Amino acid sequence: MSTQLALAGVTKNFGGVAALSDVSFDVQAGEILGLIGPNGAGKTTLLNCISGVYRLDAGTITLADQELQGRPAFQIARLGIGRTFQVVKPFPSMTVRQNAAMGAMFGREGKRTPPKQAMEEADAVLADIGLGKRADVLVTSLTIPERKRLEVARALAMRPIVLLLDEVMAGLTPNEVDEALEVIREVNGRGVTIVLIEHVMRVVVGVCQRAVVLHQGRVLVQGATAEVLEDDRVIEAYLGERYAKAHRRG
Amino acid sequence: MSERAGLIRRVLLGVAAAILTVVMVMPLTSTETAQSWGLPLMTDKLWFRVATTVAMFVVLSSAWNIIGGMTGYAAFGNVAFFGVGAYSTAFLVANLHVPFAIALLAAPGVAALFAIAIGLPLLRLRGHYFAIATLGVSVAVAEVVNNVEPLGGSNGIFLPIVRSDLLFFYLMAATAILAVAVSWLVLRTRFGYGLLAIRENEEAAAVIGINTTFYKVSAFALAAALTGLAGGVFAQWNVFINAENVFPVDYNVQMILMAVLGGSGTALGPVIGAVTLEALIQAFASGGEFAVWSQVGLGILLATTVIFVPRGILDFFGGQSRLTVQYLRNSLRRTGV
Repeated sequence: MSTQLALAGVTKNFGGVAALSDVSFDVQAGEILGLIGPNGAGKTTLLNCISGVYRLDAGTITLADQELQGRPAFQIARLGIGRTFQVVKPFPSMTVRQNAAMGAMFGREGKRTPPKQAMEEADAVLADIGLGKRADVLVTSLTIPERKRLEVARALAMRPIVLLLDEVMAGLTPNEVDEALEVIREVNGRGVTIVLIEHVMRVVVGVCQRAVVLHQGRVLVQGATAEVLEDDRVIEAYLGERYAKAHRRG
Repeated sequence: MSERAGLIRRVLLGVAAAILTVVMVMPLTSTETAQSWGLPLMTDKLWFRVATTVAMFVVLSSAWNIIGGMTGYAAFGNVAFFGVGAYSTAFLVANLHVPFAIALLAAPGVAALFAIAIGLPLLRLRGHYFAIATLGVSVAVAEVVNNVEPLGGSNGIFLPIVRSDLLFFYLMAATAILAVAVSWLVLRTRFGYGLLAIRENEEAAAVIGINTTFYKVSAFALAAALTGLAGGVFAQWNVFINAENVFPVDYNVQMILMAVLGGSGTALGPVIGAVTLEALIQAFASGGEFAVWSQVGLGILLATTVIFVPRGILDFFGGQSRLTVQYLRNSLRRTGV
């Protein structure tokens, strides 16, 4: 396997608060990597740094052989980083099809995709992701799980090399989680590398080959998912020291 | 519903096209040829003044709609571009003796360059901050112009008189048609989709690959070019310009009100708004002592439109809404009053 996305010494401060300090890890081509950690660990901040929403204070982020740090968000998108937002950000006055088409229209490097062609490609993506029947409705009439799917569809229409998913499973019923897992496996099967932030451990265990645990803005542990989740330091970070001790004794 | 809406829209467009044709042909009855044929004179001085003014506001509100309605940046100082365009043309004609036809072409160019220069810093601001900053710029430019001697200072600029109501009506009408055509075209291209995305969610727009700075500045420059062109026509039409008549602050309010009233973000909304509102303004103006109240009336109209008809009146004609008590009630609830 080759490295697709490499983070080295990524640091981000907000005023005096160190949101991320010296975060380094590699994402292998074709893998699904879980990014986990307690609330406030810096997971979403890290996604914002990769996608160019925030500028790094130090460190490098490399996609294949292109350095991403310092580039504006739109360039990073065109180089092949697609992402979703934890709180969905659709274009509310547009239909579902138009929303998805926006990814195809703007998110690719080189050749410009005209609106008509983008709409056709959007239909294909929506069909894949199970929103085909809702293509003509306004986003505002979608349910929350449907809106999350639309976020993924819009990002997929960009034909990304790496897809960053920020808690796409939060708030879904167990059935919906199963469906979403299917979608993620399918997308990954087509060769898209995926980094996903997730609190639902069933998801992390279910699809992630490897996991990186962030805690207070630093990488606490990284490695194979099963091993990472058994690590005492991870249990302590999530559940507190007392529980971790009890867990060790038990 | 959508079939019915399509039918309504087609009928509406047919009626509009018919009215437009009549209005465009009416002035021809004032030509000597037509008079020698004994055709009834259908236009007079007042008709030309009102019609040319309406066309001018169609340009201003359509242009504002590109930055304000489509891109979602509440520009409150677009009159600056009108003034810059007017002064560019007037300066070239009066001081450098450039023919009007060529001097007119400078107006959109200079206005667009000016928009790029102020847009690069100002378009980083959002919402109220952007509105106030642009308003500030328009007031500041008027003050500067008022004090620069080569531009006539407080005396303004006199242009050689060109007496042709016909010419200026058709010139302004052509500019209006251009503005509407540009808006219609923008909404159907990738560029237009980019602007709408910025309006709806700028952060999402950036991460799907839209160069938001470039798009915003381009929209601002396009709006400025059209507004500046109208200013250039105005300068020669009015013969005399000064800081007061080409930088009037109330134009800022009027062009926004027209676009919002008709339906901002659409190609035809600003046209409907401009015609409706200008008719109201003219009615107010001819009302003698009531004229004083026209400003108050406009203010109240802006407030009620924004609260009760946020998508403009175009939305009732083949759009998604019908004018019912329920619609008004829902609009009121959404504003959170």
